[in-house]
Amino acid sequence: MSTGLEPVDGDLEGSEADLASLIGDRALERDDHVNAPGFVIRPDDVQDVLFDLRDRAGFDYLSCVTAQQYEDRYESIYHLKKYDDPTQEVSVVVPTSTDNPVSQTAEPVYRAADWAERENFDLVGIDYEGHPDPRRILLPETWQGHPLSLDYNQEKPQMVTLAEHANPLKGDTKDTETDTMFLNIGPHHPATHGVLHVKAVLDGETVVDVDPDIGYLHRCEEQMCQQGTYRHQIMPYPDRWDYVSAGLLNEWAYARAVEDLADIEVPEYAQVIRTLGAELCRIAAHMLALGTFCLDVFGDFNAVFQYAFRDREVVQDILEDLTGQRLMFNYFRLGGVAWDLPEPREDFFEKTRDFLDGLPRKISEYEDLVVTNEIFQIRCVDTGILKPEVAKSYGATGPTARGSGIDMDLRRDDPYGYYENLDWDVITEDGMDNYSRVLVRMGEVEESAKIIEQCIDLLEDWPEDDREIQSNVPRTLKPDADTEVYRGVEAAKGELGIYIRSDGTDKPGRFKIRSPCFHNLSTLPVMTQGEYIADLIASLGSLDIVLGEVDR
Amino acid sequence: MSSAVSTLAPLQVGEPLLPERLGELTGLDQLGVGGELIAAFIGAFIVGNLMLAMTGVAGPWAKRKITAAFTDRYAVNRIGPFGLLIIVADAVRLLAKENIIPEDADRPAYDLAPIIVASSAMLGFAVIPMGSGIQLADPEVGLAYVFATAGIASIGLVMAGYASSNKYSMIGGLRAVAQNIAYEIPLVVTGLSVVIFAGTLQMSEIVAAQAETLITIGGLDIPMWYAFVNPFAFVLFVAANVAEIGRNPFDIPEAPTEIVAGYQTEYSSVYFVLIYLGEFLHIFLGGAIIATVFLGGPAGPGPAELGIVWFIVKIWAVFLFTQWLRSALPRVRIDQLIEIGWKGMLVLAFANLVLTALIVGLLEADADLTLTMLTVIFA
Repeated sequence: MSTGLEPVDGDLEGSEADLASLIGDRALERDDHVNAPGFVIRPDDVQDVLFDLRDRAGFDYLSCVTAQQYEDRYESIYHLKKYDDPTQEVSVVVPTSTDNPVSQTAEPVYRAADWAERENFDLVGIDYEGHPDPRRILLPETWQGHPLSLDYNQEKPQMVTLAEHANPLKGDTKDTETDTMFLNIGPHHPATHGVLHVKAVLDGETVVDVDPDIGYLHRCEEQMCQQGTYRHQIMPYPDRWDYVSAGLLNEWAYARAVEDLADIEVPEYAQVIRTLGAELCRIAAHMLALGTFCLDVFGDFNAVFQYAFRDREVVQDILEDLTGQRLMFNYFRLGGVAWDLPEPREDFFEKTRDFLDGLPRKISEYEDLVVTNEIFQIRCVDTGILKPEVAKSYGATGPTARGSGIDMDLRRDDPYGYYENLDWDVITEDGMDNYSRVLVRMGEVEESAKIIEQCIDLLEDWPEDDREIQSNVPRTLKPDADTEVYRGVEAAKGELGIYIRSDGTDKPGRFKIRSPCFHNLSTLPVMTQGEYIADLIASLGSLDIVLGEVDR
Repeated sequence: MSSAVSTLAPLQVGEPLLPERLGELTGLDQLGVGGELIAAFIGAFIVGNLMLAMTGVAGPWAKRKITAAFTDRYAVNRIGPFGLLIIVADAVRLLAKENIIPEDADRPAYDLAPIIVASSAMLGFAVIPMGSGIQLADPEVGLAYVFATAGIASIGLVMAGYASSNKYSMIGGLRAVAQNIAYEIPLVVTGLSVVIFAGTLQMSEIVAAQAETLITIGGLDIPMWYAFVNPFAFVLFVAANVAEIGRNPFDIPEAPTEIVAGYQTEYSSVYFVLIYLGEFLHIFLGGAIIATVFLGGPAGPGPAELGIVWFIVKIWAVFLFTQWLRSALPRVRIDQLIEIGWKGMLVLAFANLVLTALIVGLLEADADLTLTMLTVIFA
């Protein structure tokens, strides 16, 4: 929307030669990544090059903006993809000097760059020239220094007292000109799904402006991953990003990135188990999404929330049997999974099949209670409108994007695991509203059930002498220095991507997490302007954010 | 108190009211006006405590148990049989808490609001005939009086809303007023249609009018409860009542996931208990009005002495219904609520009133003609 231009089909194909000729002299050199060709450009060419890539080559999806500091330079990397074909990727690398790390902002090209560049400024310290809103995003405004820059003193404690923190209640928010009211929704509020703070400006019951304030649950996940070894110490962390039962989906993001980085094979049998586990997680996550959304629309103590938890509990039990854990699974390993299916296998299969058999009846119950309920429909249809071009510009993915009719699912479009050998569909809805997003999630639960059923069939018939759960991975993994990879998987909320640069040691040089919730949440102001408070809450719920993943 | 007035001019004939009977029983009526006054206070004390006891049970225990039944849970089951002693635990817990009053609260208003909310509902019970001879007063304007006292609560809510010096409270208070105005008119107008049937506002007379037999099916006498005579009015009234007491799908003045707790956001400890009690009393008063006006009051099988039992059963049935709605229905949005109120319910309420007036008018004019008309309508 704010980009002014709708991306048009490019006159160029995505081949490397075409891209090279499109960028032409502006490319100073090549810096190819494992996943994509990379072009190094000057800091003042950013918008120029990105506009060309978007409008002429069709790269309409700014997946991630990574920033990092080397000894001699700062670097911003724009990971571009296409919504139509996410396998077409290109990385635009923008180095800036250490003395004066100023780079042109990409915000006019992709709205997704707004928050992403704020985060890079906050954590790494690159200034983006022309950025409309150059504030910190995760850390308090009064924070000193940039934690992921090389010269940052991590030993020095920083206390940000309430008095020093910008106080939203100060007189400057009082508007004497108009009749609007400033309202802090959160960080402690029944409907913010964690510790989200939404600064809302209201005109009566109507929302005039919304500014999500995040960072309350920032736990330095990127830094912690950079301090852990590839082989064993990083895998527990992904469970803690999207912690509402999407653990295996997150673990897969890390596993996929490193397996591509270090060229690790995963046995087919392990891939099937991974697919099974991941889809169980997706069902559990979507059940929770449905339940909490109903909490927002129905009110507390409603039946749907409890029913969703009741049904999710069955999935949790199955996952517990599989992984030994209910919340922080830590089940994936590089090159496979930790252990085989629980013995006796028949019991596990039977339990899972029982769940799948009971699912249609439960879904029809939700349809009676929620989807076909007329009050629910008047509340959710045509509220929280997210137009597809806006969603694309903001980098929305997952059910949020598919509810706006964007037909992208990395499981199908950028296949990994065992998905391409299975029969299932990507669910999209054209309503662009809160209702569509609910429908997409409910549809995806059914599709996940289909996938699980096929996985069970496969695993039941799998020959006993071919059950290799892990390939041979060196105890200490040291990928070649300066290999870079960005890989995403379809997590419960959308594309969960991970960028890793290896520096030749057994720990990542830079570990960057592309959170789907982070980018989905950035669409909230567009979705809710001019709507009612109740719709603001419903829209927030329909985005299904988990603050652990937003703030990382 | 009407009992004091009744010595001057008997406003009601028929069954003596609770204060009079108490007066006779204890001999207090021998002491003149003062004695009758004391008898009236004792009567009020009994009725008030009966209602408070019910809300005391309903609030901490029954609501949890009912909601749990609707949502596949167990709820309280650890303290005492069926978790009943949670009532004691909750009472101690709530009363022992510090009463935190916001710095900028508008003091007299902030303190008065919970009292108004709770007492306005209590006042309404004064004229409700609860059967077994329990009725404190029976003025000729009974029904109007009940609506009037229940309406006072709106003042309490808006006071709580603005006096709390909290934006959520403010929004909640404004929502409460907008909602109550939008739904009180259909409520009263629908109630009027019953008055046309009964020809009186006096509660005991309305109950008496429903004692007749409407129709006999298979040897079973269906009484002339107005819920059966005019189901349309009954449904309208129940819907408007749900909005009046602010329960799903019309619980937007509180709307916990939107505006935290609305007008009661800042209230804690004793004040919170009062507001909470007030809400439950209002649900029970709504149930009492519905029972009296549409469900034959204390009427039921068995001897007339069981009236109070049937009456309480009916109130609890209404309470159960509100909890069911709360578990099953989404909440509407404020603009939709106002639209339903002014454009839907109000029109329907007036249509019902006019139709009832026509039918009753014809009924009195010519019974045969009405019968033909009814045949035509139902054919």
